[in-house]
Amino acid sequence: MTLPCLGHPNLGLGVGLRTAHFPYILQHRPDVDWFEIISENFMDSGGRPRYVLDQIAECYPIVMHGVSLSIGSADALDFDYLRKLKRLAGEVKARWVSDHLCWTGVAGWNTHDLLPIPLNERTLAHVVGRIRTVQDYLERPLVLENPSTYITFADSTLPEWEFLSRMAEETDCGLLLDVNNVYVSSVNHDFDPVEYVRSVPHGRVVQCHLAGHTNCVTHLIDTHDGVVIDPVWDLYRLAHRLTGGISTLLEWDARIPEFPIVHAEVLKARNYMDSALRPRPTARTVAISCETATVPHPLAHSIVQVAEG
Amino acid sequence: MATVGHGLDQTQRWMQAVITHPGGVVTGIESEEAKRFLDVGVSTVERVVSRSRSLSALDRLELYANAYFARLLECLRSEFPLLRRAVGEEIFDEIAIGYLQSYPPRNYSLNRLGDHVACYLAETRPAGDLKGDDDRWADLCVDLAALEWAVGEVFDGPGCEGERLLDAEQLWAVPAARQPAVVLDSVPSLRLLASRYPLRDYYAALRDGRDVAPPAPRESFLALTRRNYVVQLHELTHGQYVLLAALGEGVCLGQAVERTAAVVDSWSEAFAPRLAEWFREWAEAGFFRTVIDPGSTRPDSRFLV
Repeated sequence: MTLPCLGHPNLGLGVGLRTAHFPYILQHRPDVDWFEIISENFMDSGGRPRYVLDQIAECYPIVMHGVSLSIGSADALDFDYLRKLKRLAGEVKARWVSDHLCWTGVAGWNTHDLLPIPLNERTLAHVVGRIRTVQDYLERPLVLENPSTYITFADSTLPEWEFLSRMAEETDCGLLLDVNNVYVSSVNHDFDPVEYVRSVPHGRVVQCHLAGHTNCVTHLIDTHDGVVIDPVWDLYRLAHRLTGGISTLLEWDARIPEFPIVHAEVLKARNYMDSALRPRPTARTVAISCETATVPHPLAHSIVQVAEG
Repeated sequence: MATVGHGLDQTQRWMQAVITHPGGVVTGIESEEAKRFLDVGVSTVERVVSRSRSLSALDRLELYANAYFARLLECLRSEFPLLRRAVGEEIFDEIAIGYLQSYPPRNYSLNRLGDHVACYLAETRPAGDLKGDDDRWADLCVDLAALEWAVGEVFDGPGCEGERLLDAEQLWAVPAARQPAVVLDSVPSLRLLASRYPLRDYYAALRDGRDVAPPAPRESFLALTRRNYVVQLHELTHGQYVLLAALGEGVCLGQAVERTAAVVDSWSEAFAPRLAEWFREWAEAGFFRTVIDPGSTRPDSRFLV
């Protein structure tokens, strides 16, 4: 029998780690429950981004969230990528490793977009086989997120929630339920988001994502550039109740405000939880090195000195 | 005629060809590349992609096409802010779009998107307004792009922070007779660049947002390294560049100096003291990790520092 959340604890309310916030985090050590990193930003880093991550990982639980696994691609899996992913997960003691139900490219390309797959039996079999391979390689369950999508395929035969349910059932993988993505896709594809949230296998949902999006009248775009809107909070309230309380994270990737604003946004989630399901605060005792707070802004390519001579 | 139920590989190759076509989705659907995978046209595209209540299949594919170019363009803009400033936003965007067609992204990381920009500029020779001399302008763009990319690689590449590096005294502690045979182990962040322009001051001015005229051509050499996670640019003479390049190849000090002597104009007895001064400066700048002395009687011939 599979444990709820695959046995993972409820980490509480976390924030997506972004380089713009490095100085603030190092200096103020905000009372955030956990951080989620974009795996690819750190897999090859030997510089300051990785150094800062190591400091943060000593103090906060880290979850790895990837964007290039391309689990739905017709291309072969990239084992060099998986090797680096596994190494990083070990080094930062990642609580779990997630990515998206999507493909990012084919024929050797990476479009760096989360592209949708036809939702049918053939694709399901394809994805299930690849998840098993990845899980065997990583020696841990994979956690996969429902992406925001803007097209559906004529040869899709399964609703997304059914695809996810069967995929999780057949592979024992976890699910990352992005309720903003559910909402965005529900508008774009004319389905009921409440039915979606009610239908996913709640015991396999390890984590929830929250984010803002852009309303383009005829459709929504998942822009991660603003606050969470009320209908998405309503979906979150439902998901939180049905799952019994899960690790929750806010993504903010464009027009990123100061850290306290981002943090305050995710803390609003408390208003949508049953009090009995609220996570307990995480205790942290390890201090971040003060030395790091004095180093200049860490955004890549911004720290250059021109030496005399 | 395409039917429902085509293979995943065909569908994905078709969609990728459509949404990455520089002419837009309609041109992409009708392109030979896309039709190699699915033989649908604009009027039959809904056999592959469904419409929604609000948007047609074409409208929906456009969302992905727009996002593809917008995302990658934005990434290149942020990776090459100085090249962008030098050539202007409009020309930069033209270069970037052309680049994406010639060098489509293949790496799992967006940090590698600009790997071939300098190479692409060298191939395409962008026109500019350097007093009407397009060829000089193109050279400057190529070299500036190469420098900007190298700075990024040094910033996030492997480094030696936290390690004690070689100091000049440790180098000169090797008995003089054995010095020609020693090999210097450069720090992994050390990068050498040869340029047709004196880029250091131009680069610094662009970074500071100062209005600056492009420099006149002059062969120039730079060493890039990183200390405490800060990238540093050091201007080199030709001789210093040759010497450091030889040492970087693992050539012993004696042979490296011989290579240098071959290119130094004013080779004289004064060269030896200059050499000592160079190594003192480079050691202070943290260019070397260790000195390997094959003649040492120590069990480990490497002077670990």
